[in-house]
Amino acid sequence: MDSLHAIGFYVSSGVSLAGALGVALMRRRDHRGLALAVVGVGLAGLYLTLSAGFAAAVALLCYLGAAWLLAGPGYRPVMSASGPVWRQAGAVGAGGLLVLLAYSAFRGGFVNGAFRGGTFGTESIGRLFFGHDALATEAVALLVVAALAGATAAWRARERQR
Amino acid sequence: MAVLFVAAGLVAVGAFAAAWRRELTAALAGVPLMFAGAGLAFVGITRFAVAGGPQPLGQEFAVLLAIASAALVALGVGVAGREGTR
Repeated sequence: MDSLHAIGFYVSSGVSLAGALGVALMRRRDHRGLALAVVGVGLAGLYLTLSAGFAAAVALLCYLGAAWLLAGPGYRPVMSASGPVWRQAGAVGAGGLLVLLAYSAFRGGFVNGAFRGGTFGTESIGRLFFGHDALATEAVALLVVAALAGATAAWRARERQR
Repeated sequence: MAVLFVAAGLVAVGAFAAAWRRELTAALAGVPLMFAGAGLAFVGITRFAVAGGPQPLGQEFAVLLAIASAALVALGVGVAGREGTR
């Protein structure tokens, strides 16, 4: 990666992460939608610096569309009926686990992606997941997300009926 | 390696938003962030770690994830319902 691409990469990284923080922290829906659009612009810049022009165009289009949907006034707010303290403690715990995952990624070095066996441990499991079985892992992750979204929708529908 | 850190940051912020916000659509806005992190990791790994390998594979998954995130937001807004209709 030459210096021009490196500058583009780090600027786009900053833009996308700042937009992501805006999505997480802003209260008004139009501001949230604008922040998601900023994420889309930053993500498209990242893809461009990684020589993925078509993915950049599609990502920009999709994220601008999602931002337009989120910023629009055409839906009503649906508030959660669960206790906020435990839920927010769970959010902090999830953030801590992801920091641990990032640290493991840095220490394990499984970006090389080649599984060579060895002793059972974090490093060998990481190599297995991100090397040989990356697509299977991603498919399982998509299934888990779909299951969680379905369970959440069912729970909210039941709460709404009460 | 910097690509993976940015991807991990996007996933972390997305998970935080999805778990922190109490409103359905605000929590749903965290899901595209997590998908963006996953797609960025795919593109980055196929760009740098798979030297001479099939780069379009990771880009295809990034495109798929971007479309899935937009569809998920549309679904969530549809589930939330229109203002004033109940």
